[in-house]
Amino acid sequence: MGAALAQRRQDDAALLAQARSMLLAHGQVTDELRRKVATAHEADISWRGADPLGARLDERHAPAVEPRPATLIAADGSQIYPDRHGIALYYLLNTGSIVLRQGGSQAPAVSTNPEVFYEDADLYDETGRPRDPEYINSQRDRRELEALADLAEAERIALGGDLARPIVVLTDGPLLRWTPQRITDREVVREVHHFTAQLERLRRSQAVPFGYVDRPSSANVLRTVELTTLAAEEITRETVRHGRFRPLADRALFDDLAPNQRTGFFASTSDLNDRYRRAGHRIVFFYLNVAQRPGPENALIVRIELPEWAAHESAGLDVAQAAVYADCALSGFPYVLARAHELAVVGYVERHSLEAMLGQAMLRCGLQPVASTKAEAKRLTGSRSRR
Amino acid sequence: MSNETSIGRVLRASTTSFAIGCQQPMAEQERTTPELGALVKAPNGAGRVTYGLVYNVVVEDDPFVRQLVAAGIEDEVYIADQRQRRQVPVVVNVLIVGCGQGLEVYHRLPPMPPGTLDRIFACNHAEIVRFTQRHDWLRTVVAAAQIPADALLIAALRNAAAARPPDQREAYLVGAGREMAKLLALDLARLDGVLRQLR
Repeated sequence: MGAALAQRRQDDAALLAQARSMLLAHGQVTDELRRKVATAHEADISWRGADPLGARLDERHAPAVEPRPATLIAADGSQIYPDRHGIALYYLLNTGSIVLRQGGSQAPAVSTNPEVFYEDADLYDETGRPRDPEYINSQRDRRELEALADLAEAERIALGGDLARPIVVLTDGPLLRWTPQRITDREVVREVHHFTAQLERLRRSQAVPFGYVDRPSSANVLRTVELTTLAAEEITRETVRHGRFRPLADRALFDDLAPNQRTGFFASTSDLNDRYRRAGHRIVFFYLNVAQRPGPENALIVRIELPEWAAHESAGLDVAQAAVYADCALSGFPYVLARAHELAVVGYVERHSLEAMLGQAMLRCGLQPVASTKAEAKRLTGSRSRR
Repeated sequence: MSNETSIGRVLRASTTSFAIGCQQPMAEQERTTPELGALVKAPNGAGRVTYGLVYNVVVEDDPFVRQLVAAGIEDEVYIADQRQRRQVPVVVNVLIVGCGQGLEVYHRLPPMPPGTLDRIFACNHAEIVRFTQRHDWLRTVVAAAQIPADALLIAALRNAAAARPPDQREAYLVGAGREMAKLLALDLARLDGVLRQLR
């Protein structure tokens, strides 16, 4: 496997060199390129390219304003999925959050909000089918975004409405969430409505939302770069599905960004993003190097997603970017996101404690808390592996 | 019992000892972590209690803190977060020295160790005095292996004395010293070491 990885690294390096040459030679954003992007999307609706907002695909931008302390707010969610082998059928969602005011000595405000769901309306959908993990994940994600909006509003009020203090809210992962295939159009509308409502709350609070993606595997920009040397008639479903830069990720293309330097803005060409655009909250993204030391070998390229309205306010965005960059100084990952995750995660001890309490509650009601024989067998054999 | 503050929960237990997991903010550690020699109790909900003496306190390695220290954490807001908002995993090891029911105390091992996740409480002065009224528990500590037994004896006896009114403390320690002399009659060097540190 080691040898295969080394060979792949070599092959990828050659491909990357080609991609960089194309980017340099054909990086100008023209009407023709925009038409090609539209054509590729029409040829294959699942094609995820990058709609460039700037004049060039290889733009670079460093913050042009003095950094100033911001309030960073992060939220993360965790869950216990329903387990039909457990002592009772339930699921749990836990949302952890942190509000950190940079530049001061005051300890951040932290909170966790666990919720247990056990009623039939929570466990089963309208057709009587058990709720699946995708539904539970979406409920978790909703709560994260609601928590961020709640905290941003509260912080702006606590600041007396002072707009001089920037507020940046972060989620761990993209703002533009993946939606499962099986989801109905009605459910998509509901999700879009909820999502855009939270973004509207954030906009009213003058908070800048960042979806922070560490080690992004996305290749939206590379897919657009590929189009630059294709004639319009060559853009077919076959060519866009089997692009030559398929093994690569955008972060490799931009590993020459200087520390705290970002690319230009791009928008994902997904249908979901189009729905957000119609609601006034199209999601755009850029790549940013959060490393402290220069050089491609030290680069830590992350993807930041944000609403287009936040991208248009360039001074505010520069301050937000610098604040997040500063928060990454200790570990290369935003401190607030690491803490939000720590607050949200439900570990083995917490789960065991919860189930012990649940078992006692069941006993008090005359019920026997009994897991399935399969669960018991796994519990007995799972603590150490035997040969 | 419902008014008392739990100091942690049982992580693992055996007939002779158990370990407690405590989660406290670093800034409150000094106030809430039980000290060496503290007498603690594990009630089992059926009126029975297991008594133990704290013989070891371990502040578990925290990789996150290690990373921050290595990166040179300086910003006050991060230090304040670590000290006041993050809970430090502390493991407290306890030597079982007796059991009881109600006001009755027995200086022998309990029939069953405390259960996993059972709450552990610190004993108040009245409970300490009641438990240490007789000195039979000293034998358990003297004979304990692989723990700092002498340091535990000294700390526990000091705590037992401090739980009593000032005019009774010296008499208590003298009585305990006589018991120690019987137990360590064949190890005078050890006895001398313990008695010197009790002064």
